[in-house]
Amino acid sequence: MNMYLYELKAYRNATMIWTASMTGLVLLMMAMYPSFAGDAEAFMDVLASMPESVVQAIGIQIDSIASLLGYYSYIFLYVSLCGAIQAMHLGSSILSKETREKTADFLLAKPVTRGAILISKALAALTLLLATNIVYFGAASLIASSVALEPYDYGAFALISFSLLLLQLIFLAIGIAAAMLLPRMKTVLPVTLGTVFAFFVLTFIGSSSGNGKLRYVTPFHYFDRAYIIQHGSYETGFVAASLVIIAVCLLFGYLRYRSRDVHAV
Amino acid sequence: MNLYRREMRAHLKSLLIWIAGIIAMLAAGMGKFTGMEESGAAMNELMADMPKALQAIMGIGELDIGTPIGYYGVLFLYLLLMAAIHASMLGAAIISKEERDKTAEFLLVKPLSRGRLLLCKLLAALTQVLIFNLVMLTGSILVIGSYTEGESSAGAILSLMAGMLLVQLIFLTVGMAIAGAGRHPKRAVAYSAAVMLLTFLLSMAIKISGHIDYMGVFTPFYYVDAAAVIDQGIGAGYALLSLGITAVALVVLFAGYNRRDMR
Repeated sequence: MNMYLYELKAYRNATMIWTASMTGLVLLMMAMYPSFAGDAEAFMDVLASMPESVVQAIGIQIDSIASLLGYYSYIFLYVSLCGAIQAMHLGSSILSKETREKTADFLLAKPVTRGAILISKALAALTLLLATNIVYFGAASLIASSVALEPYDYGAFALISFSLLLLQLIFLAIGIAAAMLLPRMKTVLPVTLGTVFAFFVLTFIGSSSGNGKLRYVTPFHYFDRAYIIQHGSYETGFVAASLVIIAVCLLFGYLRYRSRDVHAV
Repeated sequence: MNLYRREMRAHLKSLLIWIAGIIAMLAAGMGKFTGMEESGAAMNELMADMPKALQAIMGIGELDIGTPIGYYGVLFLYLLLMAAIHASMLGAAIISKEERDKTAEFLLVKPLSRGRLLLCKLLAALTQVLIFNLVMLTGSILVIGSYTEGESSAGAILSLMAGMLLVQLIFLTVGMAIAGAGRHPKRAVAYSAAVMLLTFLLSMAIKISGHIDYMGVFTPFYYVDAAAVIDQGIGAGYALLSLGITAVALVVLFAGYNRRDMR
């Protein structure tokens, strides 16, 4: 319990900054929605005069982008980028900082098992991410309903926003596993940014190829927002895939942390 | 000179990983071009009429994605992002790691002025950034050359890479200045990453809104907009501005580091 509270306090400021910047990003982008929707409307008229085949190639996509949910799902990509960085950074730094700051032998000499240490740290990270998501979701709903020009599907909006939490959990688990794989991690941020941006760029490269097994490679593709808007649910296969990734990473982290050689100062 | 060699060796592994990463990205990204080519012409006509915001959302802008160089321009934004991450991380880390690893004392008692120390580190970082850029340049020319028939687009790639170098210089020196002159060397890497991320998000916001172009001055990603650079090369104003930012960052770095208390 002490460890849990201590970690919560240690990461309080960082979490507040992350939450504020994610909310700020949504606010900034959503503020542009009304003017954007106007532009898109004008373009739809041009589109109507185009040959049928061309319209079919991109028309549907544009139709969905011009709506509030479509625009939000585009912005959401950048929110989830920030969220992923936050989560992975949290996961890998919360475990590796003891070694880095030479406090590992102090902590490990306490009368707690290594399993208890890992669990309190993981719970603290989970709590912080939950708090981030609650604040973010509240703010995003407020912003969305204030800029909406016409009623939108609130259920789909909630599902999209909720996928932030799932994505963050995946990256939290990846971060924990990374901290165990690279025991002498000197700085967390380069590893984090490298991994997250590599996945992020893969998303862009993969997105033009459409469906296929390639989507399983990058977590940013797991919660396809177009699918959520259309069907009002997640794709089962990808939810299963994320649960598997989380479970495997956490299990690996737990087993490795219990038996790992921790250097004294 | 010893310090220069030491820094080169210390960062060799991460540089190699980065280079492998960008080459893979380049190859994978351009591999997608084959599919785009056929539908390109019809798409282009339509794209030209699109509002700016929609173009930005589809990642296309004013580029002609039917040609290899135009498609490369779309990819360029992400390559540029990777280069910026590399440069800002390297700049902040190369200075702040001495204090992080508690080797600052050891280094500062050497018969070496702080100015020379910074110079060696700066040179080492510059060399690595240059290597990154040259690898990207040759890689791009080779990959795009294999798709292009007829006229070569080496000139456009050359000016894109010159633009990338400017952006790398900005983020490298700003990162070094944050670490060298700031009060919290331990958090320097985080601050430097935050600056880089903020400017990237700002450049996306500018593209989507289409009404706040004047904000472009604040984000280096906007200085080397792929469509404009392929068309007319780098704007002289933006080139001067980038060099100016670099110079200011260097002055801050040298002035700040010389009078700072080490932790």
